[in-house]
Amino acid sequence: MSARPLLLKAAWHGLNLGLPLLFVLAPILSFVLISFWTLDNGHIVTQFTLGNYLAFLGDDSYLSVYGGTVLLSLEVTVVNTVLASFVALFIFRRAARVRFLLLMAFVLPLFMSYIIKIYSIRGILGQRGLLNEGLMAIGLTGQPIEALLFSRTAIFLTLAIVYLPYAILPIYLALDRIPPNYLAASADLGGRTRDELLHIVAPLAMPGIVVAGVFTFVLTFGDFVTPQMVGGTEGFTFGRIVFSQFGLALNWPLGSAFAVILLGTALAAVAIAGLFLRKEHVR
Amino acid sequence: MTRRAGFIDLVLGIVTVLTFLCLYAPLAAVSALSFFQLVRLRGVMSFAPFSLEPYARLWVNDDILSALATTCFIGVVATALALVLGVLFAFYFVTARRSLGLLMQGLIFLPFLLPPIITGLALLIFFRQLDITRGILTIVVGHVVFIVPIVYRTVLVRLQILGKSLTEASLDLGASRWQTLWLVILPQLRPALIAGGLLAFSMSFDETLITLFLAGSESTLPIRLWGMMRVGFVPEINALATLILVFAAGITLAVGFMQQRAGNRAL
Repeated sequence: MSARPLLLKAAWHGLNLGLPLLFVLAPILSFVLISFWTLDNGHIVTQFTLGNYLAFLGDDSYLSVYGGTVLLSLEVTVVNTVLASFVALFIFRRAARVRFLLLMAFVLPLFMSYIIKIYSIRGILGQRGLLNEGLMAIGLTGQPIEALLFSRTAIFLTLAIVYLPYAILPIYLALDRIPPNYLAASADLGGRTRDELLHIVAPLAMPGIVVAGVFTFVLTFGDFVTPQMVGGTEGFTFGRIVFSQFGLALNWPLGSAFAVILLGTALAAVAIAGLFLRKEHVR
Repeated sequence: MTRRAGFIDLVLGIVTVLTFLCLYAPLAAVSALSFFQLVRLRGVMSFAPFSLEPYARLWVNDDILSALATTCFIGVVATALALVLGVLFAFYFVTARRSLGLLMQGLIFLPFLLPPIITGLALLIFFRQLDITRGILTIVVGHVVFIVPIVYRTVLVRLQILGKSLTEASLDLGASRWQTLWLVILPQLRPALIAGGLLAFSMSFDETLITLFLAGSESTLPIRLWGMMRVGFVPEINALATLILVFAAGITLAVGFMQQRAGNRAL
């Protein structure tokens, strides 16, 4: 065997493993590393310290923003997963030809500009927005309702609308994988629709529902643009704190430590979902 | 059974319709406002008559048009790179040892599974440590990292459907490895490449959260819009948004129908 094929082989492995290692893993490691450093007079001091993490744990305002953001994301996750299950099940129960069109209709917004959606929702909820003007026009309220925009509710609504398609798709795909003869067998044996849904469809859809939940949680927890655009000063979420450290506050080590906490939270959500799915599988 | 099923379907149907309205209300509002501008007459808001004025103004707004051009350029470059890498990675997965393939796959899926804020700031810090200033190059890298998984996935699914028999037949009949690749395998991958490429482009076109970290003075359209949104929008944004929505809908529908015709479940 000459050296040439060996060299080619090494280059082939190097390319396919090296690029992902360089552009995915190395950047993640680099911010984890920075999170253990500190900032002194605008210069990064490369000395290992847990100070940034202690700053997080020792500050009630950071902790309460973190807790509030987890709660907000969980709320969106629960509401969206339930809504998405309903929608996916509705699509699944249509005739095969209609299903595809309906699915497209619900997945389409996924590819429609994120920033424009937020801008539009802002326009709808604003003090002089469509909703308030509409409510005043039909005489439901005399004054515009101020709390619509720049509130926690506004963030909740916007996140729910923006991220709903991400939940519908995995649940529908799980439903779509159910072998049709399972349902036919159930019907032949006299199973009612309710039994069929509870004992066949729901357990088989569970992996999709869990994936939908994880997607929604991870994406909403990490979003920092939505809270900023519709939340105003009310909506200070954890993602915004992270982002602000890279902009105005300009403390990269601290921001990196917060980002590690954000990453850890996202990974914890994935791990919990994984455990849940494994249990489902064993049963 | 029918009565019960009818009730269940009724509930599902109502939820589905309401959800649909919520999803499309923001999109519909933007489009409506691009044709019928809101005006204030003696303190009362009302709609102006139909006009295409915002579209005409968009046409001469160099600021927006240049951002649009930058976005398209970045999208095309990033998509081209993602197509090449996606095919490479997919071939690697089906030929390399399983553990190595899974390692590679796990890594390239990470940016897709993690919150974009993590990918964005990780790359920002990475580039800073390498002393690479932010600009078109860093945005392109960020987009490639984010869209490679979608191309990889569509190509891999297609490769796995094709199986090994085509390659073996081609090699048996005396074709070289390169001939097999160019004349046998790649033509079979064309639908997957078109679908994956279109999806990848539309994802790159819309990417905001990663780009915010990586954009220097050159910025893409979503970043420009984000900046404008904080000071208040001009009417031509509604026109631009409507055009983008129509365009994105066209791409998505085309990909959807192609995938359905190919019977190819990539997602």
